Amino acid sequence: MPAATLPPPKRVLVDSTKAHSNANFTIPSPNTAKRRKLETGSSPSKRLKVSQNGTKIGSSQPKSQFEDSLEKLTQDISGLKQQNSEKDQQWDRPGLDDFDENRDSLCFQQIEAEEGTLHGGRTTIKLFGVTETGHSVLLHVTDFLHYLYVAAPVSFAKTDCEGFKTYLETQLAQHQPAIHSVQMVMRENLFGFQGNQQSPYLKITVTDPKFINRLRTTIEGGNMNYKQMWKGVEGGILTFDSIQYVLRFMIDTGVTGMSWVEAPQSKFHMIPHRDRHSNCQIEAYVHYRDLIAHSNDGEWAKMAPLRILSFDIECAGRKGVFPEANQDPVIQIANVVTRYGEPKPFVRNVFCLDTCSLIVNTQIFEFDAEEKMLMAWRDFLEKVDPDVIIGYNIANFDFPYLLDRAKHLKCNRFPYWTRLKSMQSQAKETNFSSKQMGNRDTKATNTNGRLQLDLLQLIQRDHQLRSYTLNSVCSHFLGEQKEDVHHTMITELFNGTPESRRRLAVYCLKDAFLPQRLMDKLMCLVNYTEMARVTGVPFNYLLARGQQVKFISQLFRKALEQHLVIPNLQTDLSEEQYEGATVIEPTRGYYDVPIATLDFASLYPSIIQAHNLCYTTLLNKTAVDKLRLVKDEDYIITPNNDMFCTSKVRKGLLTQILEELLGARKRAKKELAVETDTFKKAVLNGRQLALKISANSVYGITGATVGKLPCLAIASSTTSYGRQMIERTKEEVEKRYTIANGYSHDAQVIYGDTDSVMVKFGPKDLEKAMELGQHAAAYVSDKFIKPIKLEFEKVYFPYLLINKKRYAGLYWTTPKKYDKMDSKGIETVRRDNCRLVQNVIETILRKILIDQDVQGAQDYVKDTISDLLQNKIDMSKLVITKALSKSDYTAKQAHVELAERMKKRDAGSAPTLGDRVAYVIVKGAGGAKNYERSEDPIFVLENNIPIDTKYYLANQLAKPLGRIFDPILGEKKAGQLLTGEHTRSISVAAPTLGGLMKFAKKTQTCMGCKKPLVGADEMAGAVCSNCRPRTGELYTKTLTKVSELEVRFGRLWTQCQRCQGSLHCEVICSSKDCPIFYMRMKAKKDVEDAGKELTRFDFDAGAAW
Amino acid sequence: MNADQRPPVLEARLEQANLLKKVVDAIKDLVQDCNFDCNDSGVALQAMDNSHVALVSMMLKAESFSPFRCDRNIALGINLTSLMKVLRCAQNEDILTLKAEDAPDVVNLVFESSESDRISEYDIKLMDIDQEHLGIPETEYAATITMPSAEFQRICRDLMALSESVAIEATKDGVKFSCSGDIGNGAVTLRSHQNVDKPELNVDIALSEPVALTFSLKYLVNFCKASGLSNSVKLCLSNEVPLLVEYTLASNSFLRFYLAPKIGDEE
Repeated sequence: MPAATLPPPKRVLVDSTKAHSNANFTIPSPNTAKRRKLETGSSPSKRLKVSQNGTKIGSSQPKSQFEDSLEKLTQDISGLKQQNSEKDQQWDRPGLDDFDENRDSLCFQQIEAEEGTLHGGRTTIKLFGVTETGHSVLLHVTDFLHYLYVAAPVSFAKTDCEGFKTYLETQLAQHQPAIHSVQMVMRENLFGFQGNQQSPYLKITVTDPKFINRLRTTIEGGNMNYKQMWKGVEGGILTFDSIQYVLRFMIDTGVTGMSWVEAPQSKFHMIPHRDRHSNCQIEAYVHYRDLIAHSNDGEWAKMAPLRILSFDIECAGRKGVFPEANQDPVIQIANVVTRYGEPKPFVRNVFCLDTCSLIVNTQIFEFDAEEKMLMAWRDFLEKVDPDVIIGYNIANFDFPYLLDRAKHLKCNRFPYWTRLKSMQSQAKETNFSSKQMGNRDTKATNTNGRLQLDLLQLIQRDHQLRSYTLNSVCSHFLGEQKEDVHHTMITELFNGTPESRRRLAVYCLKDAFLPQRLMDKLMCLVNYTEMARVTGVPFNYLLARGQQVKFISQLFRKALEQHLVIPNLQTDLSEEQYEGATVIEPTRGYYDVPIATLDFASLYPSIIQAHNLCYTTLLNKTAVDKLRLVKDEDYIITPNNDMFCTSKVRKGLLTQILEELLGARKRAKKELAVETDTFKKAVLNGRQLALKISANSVYGITGATVGKLPCLAIASSTTSYGRQMIERTKEEVEKRYTIANGYSHDAQVIYGDTDSVMVKFGPKDLEKAMELGQHAAAYVSDKFIKPIKLEFEKVYFPYLLINKKRYAGLYWTTPKKYDKMDSKGIETVRRDNCRLVQNVIETILRKILIDQDVQGAQDYVKDTISDLLQNKIDMSKLVITKALSKSDYTAKQAHVELAERMKKRDAGSAPTLGDRVAYVIVKGAGGAKNYERSEDPIFVLENNIPIDTKYYLANQLAKPLGRIFDPILGEKKAGQLLTGEHTRSISVAAPTLGGLMKFAKKTQTCMGCKKPLVGADEMAGAVCSNCRPRTGELYTKTLTKVSELEVRFGRLWTQCQRCQGSLHCEVICSSKDCPIFYMRMKAKKDVEDAGKELTRFDFDAGAAW
Repeated sequence: MNADQRPPVLEARLEQANLLKKVVDAIKDLVQDCNFDCNDSGVALQAMDNSHVALVSMMLKAESFSPFRCDRNIALGINLTSLMKVLRCAQNEDILTLKAEDAPDVVNLVFESSESDRISEYDIKLMDIDQEHLGIPETEYAATITMPSAEFQRICRDLMALSESVAIEATKDGVKFSCSGDIGNGAVTLRSHQNVDKPELNVDIALSEPVALTFSLKYLVNFCKASGLSNSVKLCLSNEVPLLVEYTLASNSFLRFYLAPKIGDEE
């Protein structure tokens, strides 16, 4: 480790003027925390005064905005509970005084369920949770046994059960009894229509879930053929109901994720302290039959006061390397703890290495050794006992880093973050791959009993953004920029003074606070909770697993009700593809008449319902013959030539699930409309969203060939119906709305995609178009089977149809005012474009669509191109950023090559793996490849390297502009936008770098006429002899320019100061995603250059007035 | 155009269109757009290539034209590719007249055939190029080599086949061009040489101290396109200073190229 990053010698601490040296700091009981508070002023208001006076205790630094908000926090809270302000930073959970095990029932919201053991190895389910009064609970649910089904052979009689059980036992050959029981029950196979007949199945229950897989493989392997009853079983015997133990438990007991459960009074047994597995306040066990699962409606829709810890760590890295746990120390850990439902956090603190000046309303814990700090943090974690841990990129960075660091420092007691006393937290590499997310390598750290929400993963999953840095995510969702301290800067701040460390601590605290705010803003916890409740899976599954498990859980729940058993199908990785949705060939162009859009509401779910498509209604030829079903009466043939029986014969399970989901959604929406409480509103909104997503994912599961229960017959029939319906809608609309039928125009369907069609009815009048749209929707809906419904939702006017899935338009739902501008598939969100493209496209779309000013849009484009060629465009708009994700790209890429070159130039500041590389394309020698011409924007600014404006014109702007203007202006006129008169004014910057620049001397040119000044008398001056009379005018012009630039620079600088929240420190932010950063750098340089220009007048021969 | 109404500010008549054609041809690969600065002393052009390794400096003195008139300083920003397209329309022996107004939008080129009465007239739209003026200060060079331009062109082309760069070593014995590449190495040595019959084949080496420098051949080959302009070429070298390649034209006009030496391994 470089000496520089070592904590300064202890002397610093001893000499510290602080009254409360923390050299031997131990985690304070609430009492010591209180004492500490008293030292610094007993009430927040008093403390505020102290810090305003800027005396020894308070910081001498002015407070930033963020600190102001910190300050407000306590003031607000103390306002809320005036009498009780000491509790402000109390860590403990409320005491157990109000809970009497003999009197009360144990009712709590369970947040996590996992398999565990109790009483010497008996498998139980551990339910972690929180009661309404905020007590943490671990409830062991005992005696639930896992089981599976096998179809009973024809000759199997009830009396064979005992014999079969003994036979199985011998076949399994375990040291202990493995089979609990064999029962013969009546069940029905889910897959395929069974003629509504139940048949006998054997339910084999095992004594311990660990035997279930062995049992299943033995049966499926065909090694269980008791008395050779099963005939023709070379391929093994099919088993039913293959599902994990925990899920099986939840399904059978009706417990859903994040639901409330209750162990009635006297039915549960408290576990004495010495036998406890966990640190929970209440630990008990209960028989599973005694457990009451509350459904999530009404009273039980509430949330327990979950404790949410949001934290962030800072490491002192070395120059040029991403922090490595075996080298670079953790120097600060900031924590913010909030109770769910309370707007303000009740704990805010920073654990720091070395001294650190105080921060208002925040506890600072100073440590002289990293080991002590880490251990103190762990003790804090245990004490504050969070139910949910959140942060930004904690899963892949903070957690593993802390663990690795502790291991390196040999803090053996550190990695116990779980609620289980004996369970260590370990970071494991996991690979998550799904069709939705692609392949991701992540790390997973277990914190049994505590939920984790990594905001980064969550946002990556749910939102498409240009960049996923905390900075840009915050500016997107919270509308504020955040100071971005580069990780090399952190070490410098750390090695500075207590004041600079305080600055770092504020930064760190802000990073800990932002995830909390993001979560509140995006309502992640509520929405995911509702998703868990609706689909019935544990909360953790939602993030860690894919889509399927949610559906499987719902399907099993439904199947259980109806005595259906689900076959454990062997998935063969067939690459079988089926035809997807249809797209009506677009009639490209720019429409200045209203275009009505007709949408099928939840198309696929409604198709499945309308045609009764389901596993349970699937028929094949033999079944049809055997059951003597009548076509179109008892069964239908889909356009894909699959057969399903009608709802008259049997109502499909999927149909029922969907009906319930959609019905529940309708109810939730209705409740939402009348609900006034904001928290309940959030819950209801989350629920209706979850229901919608679940309903829409049903179709997807049947089509997933690698899934657990694929059924291509359903999936491809659904899409084929969808295609048919789109075509049919087109036909109907175009047949009905014609001049022949008395309408003013012939309607034309100009485009259609998956579940919507765009119709040009003709009339210019918006109201008329809406009327026709509504009419058409109702008219076409009638032609389809219920619940398929065509809805008229919106009108686009004007509408620019560029290509399939590429269009833009102004979105109207009422004829009075447009709602928004809507654009799909157009370069406004793609990240590999520079901001210029985004801005230009947005502006011209706005001009074309909102102002309906095509000429204005063209002029704007021309001006922009002209500015671009004259180097007048701000460079921040030309910066392209890409993440440097791996080092071995096969094809050479601009950002990778640049990173290499930067490393050669200065290994310290070069981007490392995982950083985002920002670059611009500069002019290069003829024939140089793009990747050779990428350059660091800062380097470009400093050395005035000319930017390849033609590249930006030809490679970045040309295509998107062409796509938009071609349909409007025609190809020829659109092309002129790129080559016209406005492109004839260019500017060539002279760099300060390059082979020749060392030798070249700049000849000043006359400020009036651009003539090079070569004469001895005018060389140093500003104007040539011809322009001498204009000296005064030119001087004023230059002076104005300088002052303008100074103002601009001042403004930008202020903006950055505002963002960093301190006016007295140098701005150190280097956020590559922030446009202001580059503007500020450019402005700085411009001011310098303009100042130099101005001084030329001092030497002007003619200016000696 | 309104050239008829007002007398042009610039009017320059060149006896042979060929001269301008060759000049533009020689520099168009190095520079795409540049200003032709016109004043009463003549037409000058100075521009650096995109990678800032080479600089072109052209001066066509007023005496090279007959007649030459330029009332005010004007800068003609021309796209050289466009200019070349127009110049290709001229016969080598045509008489070329350049005309421009004050604060011009276009430059007017007139080609008069010396043999027939054919007159062709072209306008090129001008560009407004905001460019900084850069010059290489005049220096005393340690070695000045004058040699036939064809010889220099041949050396460059030959060595280009082997390598990307050439080392030029000037000693009192002579000047050695050497290179080494993947397939092998090569060297050409020239000694001072007087040819009484054909003075244009003279090789003249003036040396104050030995010099050894390395240059990119790609650029040198590019410079050699100007070989047609002059029979001889002058190479001026000093250690750690850019190479000057000068083609002298009639009546003190010249076309100069500066090329930065290669240092170490970088390109």
